[in-house]
Amino acid sequence: MLRFYVWLYVAFLYAPIAVITLFSFHSSPSLTFPFEGVSLRWYEKIFSDTTFMTSLQNSLIVGASTALVTTVLGSLTALGLARLKGRIQTFFGLLAFGPVALPGLFLGIALVMLFSQMGLQRSLLTVTIAHVLFTLPFFIEAVRSRIEYFDLSLEEAARDLGATPMQAFRLVTLPIIGPTIGGAAILSFALSFDEFIITVFVSGNDTTLPLTIWSMMRRAVSPDINAASVISLGLSIGVILIGGLLVWYQRRTALNARARDTQA
Amino acid sequence: MSLPNIVELYGVTKAFGALTVLHDIDLSIQQGEILTLLGPSGCGKTTLMRLIAGFEPTTHGRVIIEGVDVSNLSPDQRPVNMVFQRYALFPHLDVFDNVAFGLRLKKWPKDRIREAVQHMLHLVQLGEYGSRWIHELSGGQAQRVALARALVNAPKVLLLDEPLAALDLKIRHHMLAELKRIHRETGTTFIYVTHDQDEATILSDRIVLMNRGRIEQIGTPEEMYAHPRSLFCARFLGETNILSGAVSACDSDLTHVAVGRGTVKVPANGSAVSVGQNVSLAIRPEALQVRRRQGLGETTENALDGVVEDVVFMGSRVVYSIRTPVETLKFQETRSVDGSMLAPGEEVRASWRPDAAVLLTQ
Repeated sequence: MLRFYVWLYVAFLYAPIAVITLFSFHSSPSLTFPFEGVSLRWYEKIFSDTTFMTSLQNSLIVGASTALVTTVLGSLTALGLARLKGRIQTFFGLLAFGPVALPGLFLGIALVMLFSQMGLQRSLLTVTIAHVLFTLPFFIEAVRSRIEYFDLSLEEAARDLGATPMQAFRLVTLPIIGPTIGGAAILSFALSFDEFIITVFVSGNDTTLPLTIWSMMRRAVSPDINAASVISLGLSIGVILIGGLLVWYQRRTALNARARDTQA
Repeated sequence: MSLPNIVELYGVTKAFGALTVLHDIDLSIQQGEILTLLGPSGCGKTTLMRLIAGFEPTTHGRVIIEGVDVSNLSPDQRPVNMVFQRYALFPHLDVFDNVAFGLRLKKWPKDRIREAVQHMLHLVQLGEYGSRWIHELSGGQAQRVALARALVNAPKVLLLDEPLAALDLKIRHHMLAELKRIHRETGTTFIYVTHDQDEATILSDRIVLMNRGRIEQIGTPEEMYAHPRSLFCARFLGETNILSGAVSACDSDLTHVAVGRGTVKVPANGSAVSVGQNVSLAIRPEALQVRRRQGLGETTENALDGVVEDVVFMGSRVVYSIRTPVETLKFQETRSVDGSMLAPGEEVRASWRPDAAVLLTQ
């Protein structure tokens, strides 16, 4: 009985994905069973659609820029937070993570107001700024949990052996926390790539992939939407998997190191 | 005392905010010695070491290394290296690269680095471990790598911050012997921080006993043990019996102290005391003589009558607790050849020679 419920649960979670994936390879425009054969025609169609391709490109540009800016700002913040102590650290830690709790709707409206106050035209730039704001807390949290295991005496040891502060960072700190930062950067990219609500408010004429798919849906329910969605899904999952694996691997090695320390 | 000083501290004071952890420390460290900074946790010994390494700036005072004022130099500019309490080995580098770290920063040529690192790994008996990863090492091995990583830079002074604290007892004793050997073979000056009096006694040429940010006493382990200058020192180094009383008379060379109903005579040792002043006396457990009281006459001088309360057999020696009207005394003797011991409840007399006690005024 229990097993039945588990299967029901899994079906509930994954049936929509399975259906949309299946029909993206359907040879006929019909979106209902029976399934009449396999074809790549919808993928061909969507890849020759300039609106789709432009928005895919926009999403990649915004995602990459967001990841880059978030990585620089987020790494500095996380490293800074690790050096604070006690209540001040808790306070700034909460402050950095806080925006996660804000509804996207609210963030979107707030940003639109801010951009118009500043006289900033809505464009891919405003989308990127919004996405940085959105991804930064996730990034900081992911990196912070690793840096907490980082032994600051390693930096002191490097200084003691003749390294300048920059050399200590480059030769010791960065190689140790680098993979975590890489993983978190990929995570930021994925978050930005999928972001919809805030983007609705702050994008101008240049739309991103989720917005394009949304507007395609509104025009007509056409099978090429399936293909577009599956492409988007595949990219997101791939990127998240890589990032998640990196972060997981890092944390595991850090935890192992700590376990050994306490044994010794 | 003819050796030149390699490190000199003048009026070193350190405050963290409103909290002053080191008060006006003056200290000279001699070329080639093993000097231990000993004291309870929070006494400032680690801070003092970090000031010498350059991790903390001094609030007041100067740090001189080989005649050069390094007070304003950063750690990478000071000719000292440190062995960290938890080793702080670089986990992303193998043993060889850890040891080579300092020399690479100094831009030594590759073949000289290889030679120096190999030499140093052999010195710490890890000649074959160059390609091991740090996480593959045992605690004792990691300790040796940390030593090699510091010593390969030929520091003027090697700083060791409780290096054995993370090791278990057996390895700790072995590493103490190893440290002595390495010290002998390199001739480097060691400054060693510990809270463990045994480590300090075994290892040190001189001990600096610290308490609450001040130096209590400096001396060889033997001096410190035989002639503690304060109650703190007497209690911190080894076991000791403390008797307290008031000065009843002062001879030219013996001070008389009223303890309980009797009198204790103790060498004055130049300490200025006046009649009526409250003082303490420190007597080491092994300096007592304890005999069965039966058949002994009455005496009240340098002796206390009591009852054996507890006997602890520790193999080569036996430790007794003897309850007297004044204080419960610890008495320690080596196990006698015939194995005879006092039994709990026996009435005994503990006595001692005047020069076995030390007069303490603080």
